Amino acid sequence: MKELVLIIIGAALVNNVVLSQFLGLCPFLGVSKKLKTSLGMGAAVIFVITVSSFLAGIIFIGILVPLHISYLQTIVFILVIAALVQLVEMILKKYSRPLYSALGVYLPLITTNCAVLGVTLMNVQKEYNLLFSVVNGLGVSVGFTIALLIMAGIREKSEYNENIPVPFRGMPITMVSAGLMAIAFFGFSGLI
Amino acid sequence: MLNKCIERLYNGIIKENPTFVLILGMCPTLAVTTSAINGIGMGLATTVVLICSNLIISILRNIIPDSVRMPAFIVIVASFVTIVQFLLEAYVPALNDSLGIYIPLIVVNCIILGRAEAYASKNPPLVSTFDGIGMGLGFTIALTLLGAFREILGSGSVFGFKFIPSEFNVTIFVLAPGAFFVLACLVAFKNWTGMKKGKPAIEESCSGCPSCGTCPSSQIDEKKEA
Amino acid sequence: MSEKKKMIKNALILFAITLVAGLFLGLVYEVTKIPRANQIAKKQQEAYKTVFQDAQKFSVVDFNAADVAGYLAEKGLSQSMEVIDGVILANDDSGNPLGYVINVTTKEGYAGNIVFSVGIKNDGTVNAISMLSIAETAGLGMKAKEPAFKDQFANKNVDSFAYTKSGAVQENEIDAISGSTITTNAVTNGVNAAIYCFDYLTGGGSVE
Repeated sequence: MKELVLIIIGAALVNNVVLSQFLGLCPFLGVSKKLKTSLGMGAAVIFVITVSSFLAGIIFIGILVPLHISYLQTIVFILVIAALVQLVEMILKKYSRPLYSALGVYLPLITTNCAVLGVTLMNVQKEYNLLFSVVNGLGVSVGFTIALLIMAGIREKSEYNENIPVPFRGMPITMVSAGLMAIAFFGFSGLI
Repeated sequence: MLNKCIERLYNGIIKENPTFVLILGMCPTLAVTTSAINGIGMGLATTVVLICSNLIISILRNIIPDSVRMPAFIVIVASFVTIVQFLLEAYVPALNDSLGIYIPLIVVNCIILGRAEAYASKNPPLVSTFDGIGMGLGFTIALTLLGAFREILGSGSVFGFKFIPSEFNVTIFVLAPGAFFVLACLVAFKNWTGMKKGKPAIEESCSGCPSCGTCPSSQIDEKKEA
Repeated sequence: MSEKKKMIKNALILFAITLVAGLFLGLVYEVTKIPRANQIAKKQQEAYKTVFQDAQKFSVVDFNAADVAGYLAEKGLSQSMEVIDGVILANDDSGNPLGYVINVTTKEGYAGNIVFSVGIKNDGTVNAISMLSIAETAGLGMKAKEPAFKDQFANKNVDSFAYTKSGAVQENEIDAISGSTITTNAVTNGVNAAIYCFDYLTGGGSVE
């Protein structure tokens, strides 16, 4: 139990996926303009990463290792993620309209979110079992959502700030904010 | 024909530099540029994948059906990435160690899928190959520059050759926040020089992305507001 | 062509591409198999040579991995973070044992696993350590590869090492790499794992 809590804290805060591992930067920069959209993106990412770590874990332990083709992991994992995203999109579209209209637009984006593939590869690298993989996936995606929400909050405030030097407006100031957030997140390293 | 090829090289390296102009492939850009040599390694690995995938996708462009093109591209790119990983393990193990998990992650580097979608799937093999070379070199140069900056400021060395004593090093630049700061400054500089010529400021990743039309993220804000 | 037929055709094309890609990968895998294995073997041989300069012959020793893991946990290392990959007996020219080379993987590194070899002499003195695979931040955690850090472990016979940020005083203290306590912690725990493993194998005594 203690191990699991440590994994979640480590993945969500200490080694935050965006701010210290630099995974999932494209959506982090692209979808953090408004708090509302980033909440939707965060929810979709939590769902997809957790489920895909589970599926990738099963396939790796159940199929790739016994057949000695674990070198195919990259290609298999990315296909699993792409298929999963498609499937979720179709299911939501058919059975849950409200959920689809909330998350639907974010789903296709997630296939190329490197955080998703990154987590599945990390689980293999760290030789996590199925439970640990899922918990790690959950931690990472929660960390992603936290970073995304904070960033959206900052950007909503800084958007109309006239004091920012003109060349730094837009992209650069977002980067600087991210850098300052990364420094703040160093503080969490004392937690474990 | 030759002119077209040279034009692709110029386009990739300067006019539409993937890092500084298009702001694409940020994850490896920030993650591995803790030293100049890592930047070169990552850049060249990506270049090889980009050239091969552009070539193959361009050859197969009339065979791959439109509705399954994305998964097909992903399979092709993922295969080349795995091959590059094998080759690195076999012949340059030190580089493979230091780039670690970011090698397999080349698969989801938006530069590669972006070029496949925007260029290779619509153009003949030779120019597509040169497009790959141009974009790859542009990426490599950007990564090397970024790596060199961070290495000089953070560790006082370039390519491992130390010329600033440790007392004057600003460690934060090789740490994660430094990556954001250096890139912010480089983009701001680009904005500043562009502004003098009356060019618009560089926006965040999506606006410059070549796969903008197919990518839903560019439409999110509009859809929400509609 | 009807919708259904078209869909099947598309799926077949995608399948064909995947199949060709998979077969091609398998081929490259087989072709590069030997060079890749050679690289690993070469690296290991070099590492063994570095941690035991005088040794001429190395032979793999069988050990019960589960028991050793249990012993490490008993000694207070967090479970399954440090793993003993292998134990190798180092012999000199005439076949006399000089000590053990113990390969350790620590999963506590800042950027992935750190794999290294620890040479421990018959009397329990750490002879040297050598990195096999490390991907820490250049200029920070990567300093673990440099002699300034590595040599702190050499020629010391202690129960376990600990790192300090305020300057090492005691025999078993290691100066942390500034800015990289996570890496320092990982390597220190890894070396401790090797020492405990040595204790376990020899029952606290020397190599027979």
